[in-house]
Amino acid sequence: MVHISDGILSLPVLAAGWAITAVLIAVALWWSKRKGSIAEEIPKLSVMTAAFFVASLVHIAVGPTSVHLILCGLVGIMLGILAYPAIFIGLLLQAFLFGHGGVTVLGVNTVDMGIPALVAYGIFKAGNKLTPSKSMTSKASILGALAGGIAVALAVSLTAGMLYTLGEEYAWAIKALILYHIPIIVIEAIIAGSVVAFLARVKPELIGG
Amino acid sequence: MKIRKVIVLFAALMLLSCLCLSISVSVVSAHRLHVVHKISEIEIEAYFGGGSPCRDANVTVYDNEGNLYLEGNTDEEGKFRFPPKMGINEYRVVVDAVHMPGHRAEAVINLSQETAGGAAGVMGTEMPLYMRVIAGFGYLTGLAGAALAYTGWKLKKKYENEK
Repeated sequence: MVHISDGILSLPVLAAGWAITAVLIAVALWWSKRKGSIAEEIPKLSVMTAAFFVASLVHIAVGPTSVHLILCGLVGIMLGILAYPAIFIGLLLQAFLFGHGGVTVLGVNTVDMGIPALVAYGIFKAGNKLTPSKSMTSKASILGALAGGIAVALAVSLTAGMLYTLGEEYAWAIKALILYHIPIIVIEAIIAGSVVAFLARVKPELIGG
Repeated sequence: MKIRKVIVLFAALMLLSCLCLSISVSVVSAHRLHVVHKISEIEIEAYFGGGSPCRDANVTVYDNEGNLYLEGNTDEEGKFRFPPKMGINEYRVVVDAVHMPGHRAEAVINLSQETAGGAAGVMGTEMPLYMRVIAGFGYLTGLAGAALAYTGWKLKKKYENEK
């Protein structure tokens, strides 16, 4: 539901989406190259992209419709800034293989889901810095849940914002979009929290980009 | 008295006509037989990936010149039927899922190219979902492999340069 289809948004919005996406992918690749080799990140990158790719098939019935998992928060926490290109590739595959979203709106959809991933990473990292003393697992689960939930809420808000550029007649649809995603926010917070807590205990070096 | 006569006459007539009809069935080959056809309905079906029907979606049908022809909503099964317009063979159907804002799909229906079997074939010729999932994983593995091959090649080059 957070995937916007082809032929809905106006041309300036589509162009802006592509511009932001192109810049952010370039920055992400440049940044991670500067930090060191991308080579060791690639297996993790593809596993997280695969998880993101199939997450959209997990449907949960809400009211008259159904919504699906997004997993942008978890991808962000796990991959850091590289989450942005990962989500771009995931969305590309979803568009071609599942018909979720579309090709011309790929830029906008990547903005809608990629920026929340980056925000989730920021929250997780900042939270870790601010509370250095507490036990690793419980802290990771709380921060993971927080970042995962906020990321989905932000993704829905961004999608709503993009649809809002179409005008007033979409207003009620936007309200529905936000309302139906409340369960997903809770579910994704739980998923992100438990996955991050598990990894923090078993293999903490996997978390973060 | 008179009424009874009329009734008897009527019954006899009925019997006769039934008889005639049953005879005429057997001699129908002696008459000229006409077959005409009329396509009274075009049925479209809208469904989401995975097969769940897209119900209550707005359907807009345009003719081949792009003029609005008619509008309606899909039913419980995601289906929508509309009568074709005289002399127009091509329609563009746009389905807008109002319950899922941002979800829209369209299809072009060309009656002159479609046979009955072909029309049935158009519906539901989608790769099964599990195959698309596997395809996606395949692409990702390929991408990861290509990226690893590239970085490996670079490392090798660097190593050779150092030597």
